[in-house]
Amino acid sequence: MQPTQPATPPTPNGLKVLCIEDEHFISELYVRALAKAGYDVTVEVDGKRGLELAQTDQFDIILLDLMIPTMTGTEVLRHLRDAVETPRLHAKVIITTNLEQRDDVRTNIEHQADGYLVKAEITPRQLVEFLGTGK
Amino acid sequence: MDHLGKFTDQVRNRLIGILLIDNVLMVADWWVAEHILQLNGWQLFLSLMGVSILSLTVLPWLSASYLIQPTRLIWQAILHIAPDTANTPAPDLRQVRLGRELVTSLVGHIYQLASNAEEVEKIAHAQTLDLRTDFVATNLPLPLLVLDKSENIVFANDMLLHYIQRDASEVIGANIYTTLNLSFTNDKTFTRWLRHAEAYQVTSTQSWERVRLSLNDNARTTRLFDMAAYYNKNNASHHETMVVFFDHTDQYSQDDQAMGYVALAVHELRTPITLLRGYIEVFEEELDGKVDAEMQGFIRKMNASSQQLSTFVNNILNVARVEDDQLELRLRKEDWPEVLQATIKDIALRAEVRGITLTVQVEGKLPPVAVDRVSIYEVINNLVDNAIKYSGNGKEIIIKSALTADNTVETTVQDFGQGIPESSMPHIFDKFYRDHHNRAQIGGTGLGLYLCKSIIRAHNGHIWVRSKPSEGSTFGFTLQPYDQLADDQKTGDNTGIVRSAHGWIKNHSLYRR
Repeated sequence: MQPTQPATPPTPNGLKVLCIEDEHFISELYVRALAKAGYDVTVEVDGKRGLELAQTDQFDIILLDLMIPTMTGTEVLRHLRDAVETPRLHAKVIITTNLEQRDDVRTNIEHQADGYLVKAEITPRQLVEFLGTGK
Repeated sequence: MDHLGKFTDQVRNRLIGILLIDNVLMVADWWVAEHILQLNGWQLFLSLMGVSILSLTVLPWLSASYLIQPTRLIWQAILHIAPDTANTPAPDLRQVRLGRELVTSLVGHIYQLASNAEEVEKIAHAQTLDLRTDFVATNLPLPLLVLDKSENIVFANDMLLHYIQRDASEVIGANIYTTLNLSFTNDKTFTRWLRHAEAYQVTSTQSWERVRLSLNDNARTTRLFDMAAYYNKNNASHHETMVVFFDHTDQYSQDDQAMGYVALAVHELRTPITLLRGYIEVFEEELDGKVDAEMQGFIRKMNASSQQLSTFVNNILNVARVEDDQLELRLRKEDWPEVLQATIKDIALRAEVRGITLTVQVEGKLPPVAVDRVSIYEVINNLVDNAIKYSGNGKEIIIKSALTADNTVETTVQDFGQGIPESSMPHIFDKFYRDHHNRAQIGGTGLGLYLCKSIIRAHNGHIWVRSKPSEGSTFGFTLQPYDQLADDQKTGDNTGIVRSAHGWIKNHSLYRR
């Protein structure tokens, strides 16, 4: 059952990931797993700065936590989806959160995002698989 | 009555007159025949017979048309005012030859009644249009709605408009279902009551508790209230249904805060779980082949335990949601073997570290089922976790799926462990229930099976258990094929069907039959 990982250096896949996450231990794990799979990862702990970075449109994937300082992930998402403010964002926005909320709130966020993951339910490796296959 | 007495006298006098004329005619005929014409016996007899036949035919005909005239005029007056025969001309009372006073008086009464009825109708009609000026309707210190037969809003008082934050122009004439996004705590919804009332009742009254109204897409602006409605099939002014709200937003949302606390606790528990699972995975990857088999086994057990912790946290959260009626399922068309395999793949490790084999058997080809992937994952997770926990010396768990005779997809989880005592069977799906024989030996919260039952019920399925002590237990649940459910709900699209733990909850057009 246990796949053996060959000790080969990561081959860059050319995809840039922005991880907006304030829990350092979690981002550390994500960076490790993503870098291993060839992603180029940038970490940002602050909501507002995360939004500014995202709006530069240099990323292919944005991992967005909801409970982050200065601006909540929900607000960041709303700004990113505002057609006037953020005209041409090509990145896929994946919500990564441990926050539990009412179903209607969650549905609303899911509609705006490209994916919604509960961090406690996936391991970093499963996150990489999700980004690769969308499943 | 005087008129009637007079009329009776007139009729009697006329009848006496007619009979007298008849007699005079007979006598005159006999006198003329006998004395002037000097007819003989036979001729006299024939002459008398002739006059007699004449009087028997002509006189009754003349007197009948004469006596019936008053009735005919009254009848004509009735036809004149009746809506179906309104083109009948009014009776000409100058022609009355008999009982003039009676006929004039009766016809007068008829016209008086007709004009009274018209007046009543006019007043009723005036009331129809004027709920807006009605003291009670406009000033009722509760939000009030009135619907017509098509369930369109014909009246909404200011309290209601203020309560739902809408203008009259947006609301009046609009359908209630498109205007108000109402959710109910169980399947006895407003729509269901109204359908039943329309089909079987003339009037009906009903009330609901803890109704939720989402004012817009932002879920923060919701209203929580009790609701009462009155239905009247034959309301002349087409005000068929009346609905009143009793606001309890403050009181009911305090209950929501308890849920908020659970959500907060869950968030705090999930962060360390995320980290544990992440670091354990790093260990697995990095130490593979570098540590001995025993260490590797420990790492896998750590991994399995962290998964179990994650399931437990979700159980607490989901039970809180069921209790609070916040568990909403989005039933989608899914390939069941695929969902089952994907879920089992996640759980396999937990069985493996305990030396138990999970076997999945899918019999035949199954139709796509209507499931909420996230929730059904919890069900399989809990059933298999239980099977592992109670397997004892049993080393195999068999998960089987097949189509039943009544066309539902049945899945069973069978273990070969200690089984369940007979006395525990009726309570096994109750909340917090723990078999007292096991309580001291095997841990648990008594939430797992309760949650499974809630989730399966919300899927419109049923869950059951069969067990024999020391032979093992089989838990089974059924799922409805998607097409069947979509048919039941009269919705052919794959937009997802929303159901809560207590039944259909959204009260909008999707569920209208």
